[in-house]
Amino acid sequence: MSVTVIETPMTLAAINYAYSGRQVLRDVSLVLREGEMVALVGPSGCGKTTLAHIATGTLTPDQGRVLRRYRRHGVVFQEPRLLPWATALDNIALSVELTGVKRKAARDKAHEVAERAALLPDDLAKFPAELSGGMRQRVSIVRALAVDPDFMIFDEPFGALDAALRRRMQDLVLSAVADMGFAGLFITHDLTEAARVAHRIAVMDARGQGILGSVTPPGRIGHRSEAQLFGFVQECLANNPLFADLDSVDERAAPTFCGCDPIGLSRCC
Amino acid sequence: MTSRVALSTRLTEAVEALPIQMGNTAVRLGPGALGLLLGLFIWHLGAVAYGPFVLPTPLATAKAVASVLSSVDGWAAVLSTIVRVISGLAISLTIGAGLGIAAGYVPFLLRMLMPWATILLGMPAIAWIILTMIWFGPSHGAVIFTVSVMTTPVLFMGAAEGVLVRDRRLDDMALGFGASAWQQFLRVGLFQIAGHLAPVMAIALALGFKVAIMSELITSVTGIGGELALARTHLDVDMAMAWVVLAVSGLLAVEHTAVRPLRRRLERWRAIGRG
Repeated sequence: MSVTVIETPMTLAAINYAYSGRQVLRDVSLVLREGEMVALVGPSGCGKTTLAHIATGTLTPDQGRVLRRYRRHGVVFQEPRLLPWATALDNIALSVELTGVKRKAARDKAHEVAERAALLPDDLAKFPAELSGGMRQRVSIVRALAVDPDFMIFDEPFGALDAALRRRMQDLVLSAVADMGFAGLFITHDLTEAARVAHRIAVMDARGQGILGSVTPPGRIGHRSEAQLFGFVQECLANNPLFADLDSVDERAAPTFCGCDPIGLSRCC
Repeated sequence: MTSRVALSTRLTEAVEALPIQMGNTAVRLGPGALGLLLGLFIWHLGAVAYGPFVLPTPLATAKAVASVLSSVDGWAAVLSTIVRVISGLAISLTIGAGLGIAAGYVPFLLRMLMPWATILLGMPAIAWIILTMIWFGPSHGAVIFTVSVMTTPVLFMGAAEGVLVRDRRLDDMALGFGASAWQQFLRVGLFQIAGHLAPVMAIALALGFKVAIMSELITSVTGIGGELALARTHLDVDMAMAWVVLAVSGLLAVEHTAVRPLRRRLERWRAIGRG
C-alpha cells in the first residue's frame, strides 16, 4: 500500500476565536496545498480578517491549531500600514531587516525587489504621504515580497482602490505568483478578484461557522479571460448555493447565537 | 559644458526666485516682527510715562544686558542656570519618560503610578523649593532636584500617552513580519513616542526654566534667579529687567538649539504630508 504525503504549507484546523465574548470563528478548517493560492470569500463581517490575523500569527486562536510548513511568510494588509516617517525604501527594507538581515543588505534587497515591481528610484525616496493610494499599496506588496516568502497572506488588500488600480495590483500579484511560485491565502469579498488571483476559491460561512466549500474557476491562474471570469462569477452567484450569502452585508457582524437551527450550514431564520 | 549651462540656469532661476522668497519670508516673519516692535513701543511709552525708577526704557535695558554679557560673572550666572535646567531635565527625561513608556505598555503600572503623577503635577513649585531648601540647603542640588521633580510627571504623562496613542496596526504589521516585542518597540513604537514627546519636552523646558529661576531666587544660589534677587535688594530696576530678558533669551536659545531641531527631524514626514 502506498501512502501519498501531501505537502501542505498551511493547515488551519478547527479554529475557534471569540472577540470580547463574541464567537467570531467556530470550527473553521482550511487546508492549503503546495503552490496553491486559495481565495477566501465571504460576506463582510464573517470573520475573514480575523482568520487572516490568525494565519499571520498576530492573533492566537482560542481553540484549534495552525500548522505551518513554510519557511517564511509575507503579509499584505487591508491598509498599506507603512511607517509614515520612513521612505518607501526603508519601509520595504524593514521587513527584510526583521528577518535578521543587516541594514545595508536589506536596502540592497529592497532596491532589487522594488525594481522588479516597477517602483522607480524616485518613488523609493518618497515618504508614504507623498505617494498615491495605489503606490502605497504597491510598496506594501513589495515589502511582503522582499522577504522571499514561500507563503503569502493577503488580507483584502485592494478594497480601497478603484477598479483599474485593483486590476494592476492583481496583475502584480499574479506575476509574483508565477515568478516565485508561493502558496497563499487571499482574502477578499470580491468574487471576480478571487477568481482572477486564485487556484481555488473557498467560501466562508456568513457567521464564521466554518468553510462552506470551495470551487475552482475554469482555466489556468493568470490566463483566465475576462469572458471566462465574468461567466464564472455570474454562474456562481446565480446558481451556486455556496455564494447565496456573499452579498448580504451586516455591519454589526451578525451575532452567532441565533435561535434557529444550530446544526448544519444554517442560514439564519 | 552641460553642467556649466545647468549651473547658470540654476543661478538665473535663483536670482529670479529671490524677490518671491523675500516676499514669502516677509509674509512669514512680518506680523511677528510687527507685534514685537509694537510691544517695544508700548514699553517705551510706559517707561516715559512712569520714569526710569519704575520701568526702564528698552534701550536702558539693552544697555544693562550688554553690561551683564560683557562680564565673566554675567555669563557664568546665565550658563549656570542653563546647565541646571538641562541636568534637571536629563534626570526627569530618564526617570519620567522611562517610567512613562513602561507604564504605557503595562496598564497595571500606569494605574499604579497615575495617582502619583496627578499629585506631583498638582504640587506647587514653591512647596518643592521650600522642601529642597530644608533638605539640601542653598545648593546646585536643590535647584536641579526641584527642576526634575517638577518636570518628571509632565514627561511621564507625555511618554505614557505617546505609547497609548501609537498606531497599533503598525505593531501588528511588524509582528506579522516576525518582529520580536523589542524590535516592535525599537522599530515601530519609539519613533511615535518620541514624536509625541517632543512638544511635551518644549513645555517641560519652559517649566524647568521658570522653576529653576524661582528656586535660585528664593535660595539665593548664583544664577539668573540669584541675580534677580540681588537686583531686587539693590532696587536696580534696569538690572532686574535685563535679567528677565536674559532668562527668556536663555530659554529660547536652548529651545532653538536642542528641542526645535529634534522636533523638525521627528516631524519632517508630517510636514511633507501637509504638503
